[in-house]
Amino acid sequence: MKPRIEVRGAGIRFGALQVFRGIDLEVGEREVVAIVGPSGCGKTTLLRCINGLIPLTEGEITIEGEPLAAPREGVAMVFQHFGLFPWKTVFQNVAYGLRLAGASRAEIADKAQKFIDVVGLTGFENYYPYQISGGMQQRCGLARALSVAPRVLLMDEPFGAVDAQTREILQFELLSIWETRPTSMVFVTHAIDEAVLMGDRVLVLKGSPSAVHEVVDVQLPRPRNRATLLHPRFAELREHVWQTLMADARKAEFKVTQ
Amino acid sequence: MTTALASLAVAQDRQGGPSPLALKAGAGIVLFALWEITVRALAPEYVARPSGIAKVFFSVLTDAGFLEVAAATLRAVVQGLAISVVAGTAVGLMMGRVSVVEHGLRYYVNSLFATPMVAILPLVTLWFGYSADTRLAVVVFASFFSLAINAADGARSVPPEFLEVARSFRARPLSTIFDVLLPSSLPYLLAGLRLAAGRALVGAVVAEFFVSIPGLGYYILYNSRAFKHNEAFVAVIVLVAAGVGFEASIKWLMRRYMPWSRRG
Repeated sequence: MKPRIEVRGAGIRFGALQVFRGIDLEVGEREVVAIVGPSGCGKTTLLRCINGLIPLTEGEITIEGEPLAAPREGVAMVFQHFGLFPWKTVFQNVAYGLRLAGASRAEIADKAQKFIDVVGLTGFENYYPYQISGGMQQRCGLARALSVAPRVLLMDEPFGAVDAQTREILQFELLSIWETRPTSMVFVTHAIDEAVLMGDRVLVLKGSPSAVHEVVDVQLPRPRNRATLLHPRFAELREHVWQTLMADARKAEFKVTQ
Repeated sequence: MTTALASLAVAQDRQGGPSPLALKAGAGIVLFALWEITVRALAPEYVARPSGIAKVFFSVLTDAGFLEVAAATLRAVVQGLAISVVAGTAVGLMMGRVSVVEHGLRYYVNSLFATPMVAILPLVTLWFGYSADTRLAVVVFASFFSLAINAADGARSVPPEFLEVARSFRARPLSTIFDVLLPSSLPYLLAGLRLAAGRALVGAVVAEFFVSIPGLGYYILYNSRAFKHNEAFVAVIVLVAAGVGFEASIKWLMRRYMPWSRRG
């Protein structure tokens, strides 16, 4: 079976700055891939490329076998900055994607409400984003992306801007949402636990310009839940990714302190 | 401890001092009294004074002729503002988002915004004649540029992440204008409208002074020359009320329908 997302020799150059190059990635229909790497390595840029928001300067991305030129139907993104419209209520924000996709009024009312319930925002439909917490805003962004029934879900540090407790709750909620409707999912994170907990594979980007340093095959049993955190393989993989990522960072720090 | 003391001091101040309403009323009474006394002591009989204005106030306000001219002026202001809002928003949003339009128009719009509309009034009368069209043209000229400039500022300051979300969800250009560009620029547009409304009122009155068409401006001019200053002053009060009322209704609209705009 053909992978749903194929990235071949992807590279991005902004003027004189080569951000990354030679990135290959395949994501299957029911596969979750986490992208980790030091800040500035271009992981967010790569995700935007897969969404079709930024054209690659080298290489090619195909989604469902078709070369990507602009944002596609069936691909939805959850933004690190939430990207909620302050002048729209929670309901209107969730309905935004559906409305643009041409859904009927009844369908919008039905599906938007369904995903508001799924992410636990029932009762907050008529609140404006400024009236709800950061965690609730991110749930709203998640509901907006999920409501269009995407076959590819992209998430840019989805829980980066919420507190540690909320983050943990949202991670497990997202995992159970994914279990009920598995799709291709690619997400960027700087939290190694999150990458190992949620991903089938972890793509480690490193170097300057960055490239794929390692692809970690997670092979933890699904469904993943709180028990996964206690799995010996979880600790082992987390340590492994940590060593891979932090070796350079520590080397640099060591030099400074000497 | 210090906060407790501070809040105590504030509470005392609140209880001890006169209420803001009493202060406002008191200051008003003092000002009107000064005006009345000064005019009585120093000025001829026909000069406007509070007691004289109060005497004619209701008879002027219920006079059919006065209502007609007041309606003519306010109608011209509203029509002119409506034209400016539509055209100024369209031009401003394009300036804010399309760099070709921005580079092409920026200097002209800024220069015309700074142009005193009184200076071009004689020219406008040549183009539109001594008619109500001239007044409408002056109102549009007076209000258009502040709306265009504010709309351009609003369009420029649309956070890029909102446009990114719109692109990610495959929004068509027209839907991006109505879903993102306009609402995001709305606080700027309303700020421009407040400015434009004041300028439009001035424009209408000055045009009436100059081309002598029926309206509040001409009413003031005519009655001043006929030594009926009290009557003229009632028209001034109506103009002030229109300006203040417009300002207040925009503020109310923002509070009622744009609660989000006060939070960055």
